[in-house]
Amino acid sequence: MYDSQPLQQPDAPHSWPLLSPRNSLILLLCVLLVIFFVLDLVLGSVDIPFGSVIDIVSGKGSDNAAWEKIVTYIRLPKAITAVIAGAALSVSGLQMQTLFRNPLAGPSVLGISAGASLGVAMVMLASGSAANAFAIRQLGLEGSWLIVAASTAGAAAVLLIVLAIAVRIKDNVVLLIVGIMVGNITISIISIWQYFSEPEQIQDYLIWTFGSLGGVFGTQLSVLGVVVALGLVISFAASKSLNVMLLGENYARSLGMSTLSVRITVIAATSLLAGSVTGFCGPIGFIGIAVPHLTRSVLNTSDHRFLMPSSCLVGAILMLACDIIAQMPGSRTALPINAVTALIGSPVVIWVIMKNRNLKSSFA
Amino acid sequence: MNREVLQTQDLAIGYHSSRLAREARKHGAKYAGKVVAENLSLGLAEGEMVCLLGPNGSGKSTLMRTVAGVQKPLGGRVTLDGRRLDKLSARETARLLSIVLTDRVMTGNLSVYALVALGRYPYTGWMGNLSPDDEAFVREAIEATGTRALAHRHIGDLSDGERQKVMIARALAQDTPVILLDEPTAHLDLPNRIEIVRLLKRLAWERRKSIVMSTHELDLAIQAADRIWLMSPGDTGPKAVEMVSGMPEELVLDGRLEKAFMRKGIEFDRTSGSFRIHNHYRGAIGLVGEGMLAFWTKRALERIGYRVVGDPSLPFRVEVSDNRRCWRYYDGRGGMPLEIKDIGGVIHCVRAAGEEGVVA
Repeated sequence: MYDSQPLQQPDAPHSWPLLSPRNSLILLLCVLLVIFFVLDLVLGSVDIPFGSVIDIVSGKGSDNAAWEKIVTYIRLPKAITAVIAGAALSVSGLQMQTLFRNPLAGPSVLGISAGASLGVAMVMLASGSAANAFAIRQLGLEGSWLIVAASTAGAAAVLLIVLAIAVRIKDNVVLLIVGIMVGNITISIISIWQYFSEPEQIQDYLIWTFGSLGGVFGTQLSVLGVVVALGLVISFAASKSLNVMLLGENYARSLGMSTLSVRITVIAATSLLAGSVTGFCGPIGFIGIAVPHLTRSVLNTSDHRFLMPSSCLVGAILMLACDIIAQMPGSRTALPINAVTALIGSPVVIWVIMKNRNLKSSFA
Repeated sequence: MNREVLQTQDLAIGYHSSRLAREARKHGAKYAGKVVAENLSLGLAEGEMVCLLGPNGSGKSTLMRTVAGVQKPLGGRVTLDGRRLDKLSARETARLLSIVLTDRVMTGNLSVYALVALGRYPYTGWMGNLSPDDEAFVREAIEATGTRALAHRHIGDLSDGERQKVMIARALAQDTPVILLDEPTAHLDLPNRIEIVRLLKRLAWERRKSIVMSTHELDLAIQAADRIWLMSPGDTGPKAVEMVSGMPEELVLDGRLEKAFMRKGIEFDRTSGSFRIHNHYRGAIGLVGEGMLAFWTKRALERIGYRVVGDPSLPFRVEVSDNRRCWRYYDGRGGMPLEIKDIGGVIHCVRAAGEEGVVA
């Protein structure tokens, strides 16, 4: 049997390719993240000087009590939420695209966002006057917890259905279609519910669907942070298996990988990531689909050990940028975040892809 | 005889079905499913290259999947390196047997080097980082398959032939004694087909790899295989598949190869080991001469539908002079022969005569 030590090439005609992308790129992304984070804190409808913002964030405080309130209770939590949401949605999108080998897959394909929406719709559109959205808003903090709980429960319910199906189905393409169908059923239930609801209730629900990074602070922010951190750890641990999934399920199995356990791991991680973010911030589209493509394009690699952290960085940067634009510095109004992510992000993605032309072959 | 690394004992392959399982219990049938082939007792020796041959639908892929452990057998067992396949973990199997599939891996951004490196999956830790030894295996596999120049390229940019070689390199990096390949030469042109087969033969010889490749290419299999596993529809039942294993030459000489591929309008030439398209004969024509020129003239005449006989007395005939490189055409009416300088002219004359109804 052949078991000799592999030959070492003494003088290679040209060097072997490196498996890891250049560190300078990752470093650049880190610097960009810091810059955008600070910009997000400084820019807003109220002009606060850069120096004061830094003083407040670093704990030195400020003479202007209003500024201090704005930065500590509004801008800082919002920026942190943007970073968490951007990272979470990007990583879940990346995993979905690899698992389903489909460039159009995102965190919403398995009906997770639709499930969260159903949960929220149940709370907001519930016909009884006691539980209508207006009353919920009066409840303040507890009300927003109710929405978070409803949305997480909705996401989890749909997820359990999809997981139960995932165990029985052998083919990921079939699972993808099943996920989309479950999502469609959920959405149509919401539509029917809306049809029989009062206009005011529908309006409240619609506003929730626009998405918002504001309003997550204190305990909520900690909970979101912990859940997303858990999801990210699971995702990072699945990197090796996801790399093998690039070869397709048959090759993956022949390499000794259990495709079922990878599938369940990935679905669980995605629902933790996308479910919690949707619960706290509403359904934020686009980021989950676009960021993985952007990251692959910029890093020019398919290795998930590098794509995972880089997607986190790119997602967080993009989310911060969208938030800055949504606040429209110098203006008193703020745009819905969901509209901005797609409006600003899509041209960026189109530009990057046209420039590099390597999306087409990302999956086939 | 070399040590056998892969064995099957009374293997029955096919598809499990709960409906048939119920019927099996009721009527006492042997297997709980749809049987594709049974009583397969095969052996694959170390360093042996086997071609799995059979017409479409004879169960080649089912056998490959069963041996690879992807599909459960209906009965019998598969032994890998002396250990029962069903007792091995997925990871252990992955260290004994690697596969090359017809699935197209088109993931862009995946460099050839990274793809071959994925072959080390069964050996790496939880993060999949390659040790220097792993990396040496990867580089060695790339060198051995002659894909060094492709290492930087993306898998999506490769031609079919290049991609196939890269997939073989990946299997090689997996460092298994057995490699299964499902139709590795499909979609390839002739030079690429030959190159792939030569590469596999070299791996079997130099690395002592045991290789099973399924193929439709009979002539290639006859030339390259140490042994042929031939699956053919048997005589016993309507669906039963008969499996024979033997040296290619044995199977040609005893006519079993011919029988497996027997169809109307196909003729197997045992002398050359290849199948011929059987034309409707227009009639007979004489051919006189020897050597390469005569051989190809015979082929051309057969192609346009003539039965060629070596009878110099026929009035309708062609005489070939190999050293003068010319043909003498007798039109069958007893006239003077026509001297023709190229084979196209000969065929033109014979065709024209055929349309007038001239037969020897």
